[in-house]
Parts: sequence; structure tokens; C-alpha cells
Amino acid sequence: MLLNRETSGTRWRVRPDGPPKVTGRLAYLTDMSVPGMLHGMVLRSPYPHARIVSIRTEKALAMKGVHAVLTCEDVPGLNRFGIAHPDHPVFCEDRVRFVGDAVAAVAAETAELAAEALKRIEVEYEPLPVVDDPEFALRDDAPRLHEHGNVLHRNDYAFGDVEEAFRACAHIVEETYSTPRQMHVYMETEGGLFVPEADGRLTVYSPTQHGLMDRMQLARILNRPEADIRVVSSPIGGSFGGKDELNVQPYGSLLALATGRPVKLHNSRFESVRAGLKRHPMRITMRTGTDASGKLLAHRVRVVSDAGPYSTLSAEVLNFAVEHVLGPYRYEAAEVKSVSVFTNNGMSGEFRGFGGNQAIFALEGQMDRLAEKLGMDPWAFRRINLRKPDDPGPLGQPIAPTDGARQVWEALPASRLWREKERAAAEAAPAEPWLKIGYGAAFVMHGAGLGVGIPDPAGGRLTLTPDGKIEAAFGYEEFGQGLIASLEQMLIEQFGFGSADLRIVIGDTDAVPDSGSSTASRSTSMMWQSLRRLRAPFSSRLLGAAAEALRLPADRLRLGEGGIRDAASGELLLAYGRLAELAPEPIVCETSFSYPTSPVERVGSHYLYSYSSVAVKVEVNTLTGRVRLLDQFHAVAAGPVVNPQGYLGQIEGGSGMALGFTLMEDAVMKEGVYLTRNLDTYLIPTIAELRGRFEVLPIEGLPEGDEHGPRGIGEIGSVGLAPAIAQAVYDAVGVRTAKLPIDPEALQAVPDFESEEVEPA
Amino acid sequence: MTDKTLAERSAPSLLECEINGEKVSLAVPPTRRLLDLLRDDLQLTGTKRSCDIGRCGACMVLIDGKPFNSCLTMAYQCSGKSVTTIEGLAEEERLHPVQQCFLEEGGYQCGYCTPGMIVSVKALLDANPQPTMEEIEEALSGNLCRCTGYGGILRSVARAIETGGAASNE
Amino acid sequence: MAMEQKEILRRPSVWQPRDPAEAVRLKEAFGPDAVYVAGSTLLRTQWEAGTAVMPPHLIDLASIPGLAGIAEQDGELVVGSLARLDDCRAHPALADKAPLLVEAIKQIAGRSVRNQATIGGNVVYRVGDAMPALLALDARLDWHDGTGSRTEDVSEWLRAPSAAPRVLTAIRLPIAEDAPTSNARRTFAYHKVGRREAFTPSLVTVAIAAASAADGSIADIRIAAGGGQTVPKRMTRAEDALLGKAPDARLLAAVHEAILEDYVPAPDPFAADSYRKKTAANLVVAALWKTFCRPAEARG
Repeated sequence: MLLNRETSGTRWRVRPDGPPKVTGRLAYLTDMSVPGMLHGMVLRSPYPHARIVSIRTEKALAMKGVHAVLTCEDVPGLNRFGIAHPDHPVFCEDRVRFVGDAVAAVAAETAELAAEALKRIEVEYEPLPVVDDPEFALRDDAPRLHEHGNVLHRNDYAFGDVEEAFRACAHIVEETYSTPRQMHVYMETEGGLFVPEADGRLTVYSPTQHGLMDRMQLARILNRPEADIRVVSSPIGGSFGGKDELNVQPYGSLLALATGRPVKLHNSRFESVRAGLKRHPMRITMRTGTDASGKLLAHRVRVVSDAGPYSTLSAEVLNFAVEHVLGPYRYEAAEVKSVSVFTNNGMSGEFRGFGGNQAIFALEGQMDRLAEKLGMDPWAFRRINLRKPDDPGPLGQPIAPTDGARQVWEALPASRLWREKERAAAEAAPAEPWLKIGYGAAFVMHGAGLGVGIPDPAGGRLTLTPDGKIEAAFGYEEFGQGLIASLEQMLIEQFGFGSADLRIVIGDTDAVPDSGSSTASRSTSMMWQSLRRLRAPFSSRLLGAAAEALRLPADRLRLGEGGIRDAASGELLLAYGRLAELAPEPIVCETSFSYPTSPVERVGSHYLYSYSSVAVKVEVNTLTGRVRLLDQFHAVAAGPVVNPQGYLGQIEGGSGMALGFTLMEDAVMKEGVYLTRNLDTYLIPTIAELRGRFEVLPIEGLPEGDEHGPRGIGEIGSVGLAPAIAQAVYDAVGVRTAKLPIDPEALQAVPDFESEEVEPA
Repeated sequence: MTDKTLAERSAPSLLECEINGEKVSLAVPPTRRLLDLLRDDLQLTGTKRSCDIGRCGACMVLIDGKPFNSCLTMAYQCSGKSVTTIEGLAEEERLHPVQQCFLEEGGYQCGYCTPGMIVSVKALLDANPQPTMEEIEEALSGNLCRCTGYGGILRSVARAIETGGAASNE
Repeated sequence: MAMEQKEILRRPSVWQPRDPAEAVRLKEAFGPDAVYVAGSTLLRTQWEAGTAVMPPHLIDLASIPGLAGIAEQDGELVVGSLARLDDCRAHPALADKAPLLVEAIKQIAGRSVRNQATIGGNVVYRVGDAMPALLALDARLDWHDGTGSRTEDVSEWLRAPSAAPRVLTAIRLPIAEDAPTSNARRTFAYHKVGRREAFTPSLVTVAIAAASAADGSIADIRIAAGGGQTVPKRMTRAEDALLGKAPDARLLAAVHEAILEDYVPAPDPFAADSYRKKTAANLVVAALWKTFCRPAEARG
């Protein structure tokens, strides 16, 4: 059944965070201000690569109204950050490696004054040769950006004898795919408020996807105990992976502590562009072969990923890509070599899809090309090579068995869109001879969780508070995905509480347990598992206390809206507020566990996967080479739908981003400098691009005995669209695309009116 | 300025206009951006800052009933005009019908574009209660949303049109 | 130091002249320290990007009464330079008599920007997307130089812009006479191509205004093309090839060739010149084909 408001019935709920969002009352962390606060700004390098000869701050410091000018000298702790490997300087000491590198920061009484103070900081640079191409960076004669060279990470994987397997192939396809430097474009740029408290602690109000990780990193930079820092990190005006790593937090914190006054930072869009993360541009070369019947025999892949100047999660993204260039298909032999390379380009890092988008664009492209060589239907060709439920994962690791691959494969030909395609040939030609219609499809198998070898904690806490609220505390963040709504819905549906009974606490390190990060399509799964673990103990504690208070056997009671109810009649017997008063001791249950992983050694291997098939219909205008997406269908097998509105929104929203990735988005750089500074030249889809039809078919069934419940759907909608569109474009105009965004020039044709039966009017 | 007759042509540093139905008199430089004036001087933070150059629509407000980017508008340009921000749409606790439709259809996710989007939709439906898809596209192409893919937004607009949303509150 | 801070925080003065002559006097008095401002949408983009600095004095043309009207006068449409783009887009007289201009304006930015930006600003920018339409419509521009008004062809403004401190007061569009016979037709086409479907900076813009004679031949044609930072220009070679002829596939192929030569786009970091040339040529010949050649039953 397609997912929409009508089919969801009463499960389609108004989000708890909805009213303040539609009225503008919700205070985002960048909306906050306090009397007496200062305004912070960061001085960043104008050069992609340079030696710092000297930094003089006297003139800026001498300005009235300027309260602090900080440089690397003023960092009390580790002058580095980075979630996985801290090598990103808070303030550069002697060298800058990209145009976002920070050199100094100021706090002043107004933003205008702070901007002026930045201009008066005198930095003498000696420009160095720019390494703007990862292939060049790998050469021996390339300048070395770090002491250990320009290779950030390599990850190779192989099984079988790939040379031998290629020799046995009847058909071989080789192609190099390249993908753009996509920008997250969260509508709220980075920022926040940093408050030194009277008791000596520091409160950081700034968006992040993992408050406790920020707290750890800030403690390391500030050289103070984590307990002395409170990070308030939600609500967030969009993130998509882009705010997981630290951004302005080190500067706000250092300035607040240096001045003893609250400091506000809020990046301009250009500041966000130059300093922020982007999706890794990758070049992926694939050579793939089959036997005469279409069985995949050999697959050889080389991935080169442009990491930019520092590590953040580039190694982890590369690992993810290695897994996903193999994907859901079975081969006799495969060999993947991959490298993530330091350059003087912008910072690359975490972005929804996490390397899967690039990998799957390439892999699905190979499938379509091979099917053509074989003269087979591309979808039928995929079926021949598709994994079975009990097959190991892409890296040979055991994974939680589901039938998702077959399910989404079967759903696609049954979709309205695909059935229309079958009839399309007989339909009338488009309105204009230069408009060409095409259909395409792609298959996605996407891992969730952080994978083997990376700490991936989960957990949460339920409390009956003294004021009679059921408080659910989780260390997750709300950046729009509907986490609060999903948590509320699960508490209502699984426990029987009413929405008015609930208080949801997230996004505040002083108030939440360690639930791990809100990344990798993991939070909803982990909340579901937490509640499953908490359900029996918390219910029995509540019912036990109620039984004692009411002098009734616990089995005659149940949890319900407003309080404890008679199990048979539903009558309200004891309000939660009264229960809180009568309970002899506070009722608190907490759980702590880890995201399930595969029992293997290989770092990053995943255990839980979601599957998706995507079908699209496009129209190509051969006069202009522009592509319009007319219709899309997404089948998603990811277990039960926790929150219908959120689920639909994640697939639609992910697909919208993928459309930008496919057709228009690229933060173009020239010699290490961004040519796109703002949203006048970095273009993301408007409503005009995304007004086509859209259907989502959730496939909820899981094998009997499956304990893992809902799988992640936060990323999968952003993955399959690009290869589906590429195939549809080929179907329309016969041009293969290996580079994104699709170059319209390649799709152009000079109109041939001779063949249009021209008659003078 | 030597020309005495021109000297009196300088715009005053006092802005007199109406904001959300209330007459206000604000001592601000004439070139202060309406966006800063709303957010920083009046703490009306429902109007959001995002691109600063009129390309995203997060800072959309109504001036005399028409949508304007408050980041592109300077204080003197509001003189004598009536400015409505997202905070001015709901009456007391009663949501504006367009807000109600966004709430019910889930026409938002992170919510950061939402005030500007709702302001643009209200302006559209006030002027044209039964817009075509082309007209919706034209009216909303200056409001970027990065979360929803516009699906929920289009459903919210469709519902507002169906229920005659905008008109009922006028 | 206190002085210094005051200096930094000093905001520009905004001058509000009462007539164009005063505006020109202000500009003459302040020279490069002042800039004319109308909607300020383009200026704000430049100020924020740092490609221009907000000068100490702004001269607000919008304060001048009487410059925002749109009216028919003596066989011309007179569009006040301070008319907001969205008012132009919605004006019945323009829709009726200059649909080409309305179509061009409809595709400029988004509605909120058009509520603020003026047609005069688009003209003064020289590479505004309304310009190809104005060129194809043979528009003329009224300027006030401080002492009096002078009219020049829009093509002259694009070819050799004067740097004198004058103020654009109106855009004049000739209203084409009705066609002499029932078989003769006037047709217009405007196309804009950017990197997305809406609210996009242009890569290519083409505008065509044509009249056909009763025998199906082209009696009059003006084709203009621009896009991005390209100063729009008439495609004279293509026009010459078409004039007096009834287009057919062979002629259109020649027109295509002519436009590939005539259209020289200013470089754009996000699109190749070859793409833009091909796009301009394709759009022009497709528009001509639709108008003059398409089999009648398909024309709808």
C-alpha cells in the first residue's frame, strides 16, 4: 500500500514540534540572544595553501569595543578537532591548507565591529603551490600537505581470482564515474550562543548531530573536564551530516571563556560555504564482466576520493563506499582499491548517504551498461545476480537476513509508473519533437549504523517525573527528520501513553544519556530498540507502584492515556501525577547497548541494511539538454513504518537532494577557491523541479524472529535517484552519463526539421 | 553637502511604519536591513536569516500584503508601510488557515524555511485563491526548502486551496 | 578611538530627491561616493558578495513621484523606470501589447524580488534578462541628465553606455500597428535557459519579435540574444537571412549557423560557450519552426 496521509489513517499525526515551527515561535539556537552578548567572527585564509609568516593582532585589539582577538597561541588544550582523527587546526599555526582554514577569531560588541576588526588583523602569507586534484596529490612530485604525505586512507578488498574471472567473461564494461562536490545547504547556517556561566561552566547552544561528541571535542580543545561543559544542540535548521563535525563551536567557546561574556556566532552563507563540509567528489573506475548468460563474474573497482585538507570522517566515508561499490550483487571475484586523498580543496565530510551515493551511481551504471551489452532488460539482469536473503553482506560478512532485496525488486515492475512505461511506446509522441521521454530504474542496498570497529552506543531513559510526566530522554538531535514525533508515536503506540503525558528530552548533554550519534540512519532504530528493552521494566515498575497505591493486583491494571487504567474497562484509576506522588521511590529505567554489528573484523562492515528500488520518468529537451523529472516511484524495504509522515518526508526529501546531485549541484572550485559563494550560483532544486508525481511504497515485513525492528530510512531516499535518472536519460536520448551533475550539452541535438514534414504555413 | 535645498532630502533615522498591525517608531539608520531590524531590534526571530541576498526566501515578510525578502529591504523602504511577519499571521492562539494546513499535511521538517514559505503561500492565496500549478510554482520558486523535497509543501498548499484557506481568515 | 568606532559604524545617508534633476545634482555633488538606488536588489547582492562596497550616500530614486506608472501614450507604451518588475508582469496593457516583455519579466528571479526590483534597474544593469525582449521590441529609453530629457534607443545604451550621472526615467515601447491583412501575423517568442527551471541566473536568453506577410514570408524580424553577463545583441545575420523569406528546413539550418556565429556569450564559470551557442541557435530555430513551419494540424 502506497504511503500517504489517507492510507496512514490515524497514524498520520501532527508533529509535536509543528505548532512552534509553523508560527515562527520556535527559537533555533541561532535565534538566541542575551543582553550584553558579544559577536564573534572568524578570520579565515584567503589562500588554499600558504605558509603563515606572521600574524599581528594589535590593531584589531586596540579597537574600542573589541574584547578579544584569539589565535593559536590562545588555545589552552589540543589545537585540533576531528571526530575520528583530530588533525583539523582550530587555529592554524604556520600553514593554511584550504580557503576555510581559521587563523584568528574576534569578539566585539557588534557584528559590524567584529567584521572591521577582522580586517585589521594583519596576516602575512607566503602562498604555496596548490594541490587541487587528488590524482595529482598522489604523485611523488606533488607538494606534501601533511608530514605523512597526501594519502589519508587506503582501503582495499578482494576475493577470488579477478584476472581469471575476467578471462572467462563474455561481456566486459569499463567506465569512470565522477560525482560533484555537493553542498548540504541546510537553511540554517552554522552558529550559536556560547555562555560562560556564573558557576564556571560553559554552555554551548549550537547545533550538532551528537552533543556528547561535541562536548568531548570541546573539552579536549579547552582543556577542561567534560562535566564543565553543557552542549545544547537542538533544534536544528537542517544538517544532513554537515553539522556532525565541529564548526563554529571551538571559536564561540574560546571567545566566551576569554572575554567572560556570552558570545554569538552565526555564519554568513559564504562563511558556511568556504568553511563547511561537502560531499566527497569521487572518481570511481569500474570494470565489470559477465558470462554469456548474464551472470556476473568479475568486478574491479578503483575509488579516488577528494578529502580536502583534513580527516574528519573521510576514511569512514571511503570504507562505506568500498562496501557499496560491491552492493547487492554476487560476483565470482572482485577487487576494490580505494584511496582518500588530502588536497587543498574544500573540506569533504559526512553527507547523507555517506559515500553510498557515489558508489551506487557507479555500480548501477555498470548494471545498465552490461544489460545492454547482453541485450537484456536491465531489471531482469539485476535479478540474475541479486543476493539471496541468507547471503553474506557485500564484504562477505554475516548480515541480518531479510528478503528486502527480492521484495523491492518485485515491487518496481508492479508499480503504476513501470506499468505506464510498458504502455508508453504506444502513446502519442510528446508535444514538441525536441522533447524526449525516458524511463530508468536503480537498485539500492544501503547500510545503517557506524559499522564494525567504531563505538556505536545506544540507549535511553524513561522516568516518571515528580510532576507526573513520562519523560523520555535520549541523546539524539532533532534536525527536521521528525525524531521527536517518531519517539512520541512509539511511546503512544507501544506503551499506551497520551501525548499530553509525555515530556521528550533530547539535545542537552546535561539531561540525556549517551545514545550515540544522530547519524547513519540509526536513531529511529535505536529508539525503537531502547523502548523495546524498556517496555517491560518500566511498565512493571509503573504498574507495580500503582497496584500498591490502589491496593489492586497489577494484572488488573494497564498503562493508558492520562494515567493507570482498569485493564478491562479502561477507566482511569490513577493519574500519573498522583502516581508520582504516591510512588515510594522515583521510577526510572535506563537502557544502554550498542548498535548491532556483524561478528567480523573488517572495520566499517554493516549488519543492518535497507533496500530500495527507484523508478523514474524524465523528459529531456534536446534543444537545451535540460532534464525534467516527471514521475518517481520508490519501494523501500526497511521494516515497520514508525512514523508515516516522517517516513514519506525522508524519502521525498532525500530524493529532492538527489535530484540536485544529479542535475545541478556542484560547488565548483578553481585552484582551491570556491566559485560558488552563495545560493545565487550554488543552485539547489526549487519547487519547479520537484512538482512531479511521487509514490512511496514501504515494504514493512521482516522475517519471523527478526529482533531489529525498523531499519534506517534517513539516507536511502537520497541514493538511487541519480542512477535511475541517468538510465532514463539514456532511454530518452541514447546518451550515457558517467559524470554528475549531468552535462546538458551532451544531451543536445541540433533540431532536424527535414524529418518533421515541413510545410510552409 | 553645499546645496542647501538638497540637505533636507536626507531620509531620517526614524522609521515610522506598522509591524504586525502595530504602529511603530524606531530610531534606526535608514539603511538598516529589515531582516536585522526584525530579528535583532524587535526579537521577531520567526523571520529567518539564511542567504542574505534574496535567493532562499527564509526571511520572507509581507509589505502591504505582498511578499518581500526582508534581507533585501532597507528600513527607509518600509517607511509608511505595513509589515507582516510570520508572528503576525496567527490570531491569538488560532492558527492562520495556511499554518493549519502545513501542520496537518506535514509541510515542513526542520522548519527553518517554514515561516517564509507560509508567508509566501498566504500572499499567493490572498491574491489568487485558486492558483494553477504554474502559478504555485511561480509564487514559491523563491522559497527554498532543503528537507521536504517540496512534497509536503505542495500537499499543504493543495489543502489550503481546497479549504479556501486564505480567504476564510480575511 | 571613539571617533574611529563612530566612523566604522556610520551608516550611509539616504537622499530622497523630489525630481530627476535633484537626483542628478546629488549624484554630481557626491560623485563616486553615491549610488542611485531603486529596488536595491542587485546592489544588495553585490554588497553582500563584496563585489561592491556600499558607498556613504544612497540616492533613492523610488522617492521621486511619478516614475512608476505604466501607460499608453501616442502610440507608445511608456513604462516608468521605477515600475516594479512584478507590476509590469501583471499589467494588462503590457500583457496585451508587449507579451514578449511580460514573458521575459516573468522569468526574472522570484516574485518577492520582482516586487522590489524595478524595470529601470534591469535596464541600467545592461545584462538584465528583460533586455533581449526590449531589444527585440525596439524599445527606447528616456534619460534625465539634470537639465532635460533625452531619448535613446536601447541598442545604443547597450552598445555604448554613457557614464554621465543621468537618471533613467522611462522605457518607451512602440505599439505595433495591426497587421494589414488577416493572413499576416505578429509573433513573439522568449526563452531563458539557466541551470535550473526557476529563479535561475540565465545562461542564454533569446527574444524574437516577427511579423509575417500574407504570403507567409517574414516581413519584419528582430532576434536578440543574451544570457549571464553577455550584453544582449541583435542577431543581425540571422535576421538578414530570414527577411523576406518563408522559412523552411534549409533556411532554418542556415539561421542556426548564423546564430552560432553571431552569438558570442561572455564567459560563465558554470557553462561552456559551445553549449550556450548551441542552445541559443536551437531555441531560435525551434521558435521559428513552431511559428512558421510546423504542420498546421500540430499547431493546436
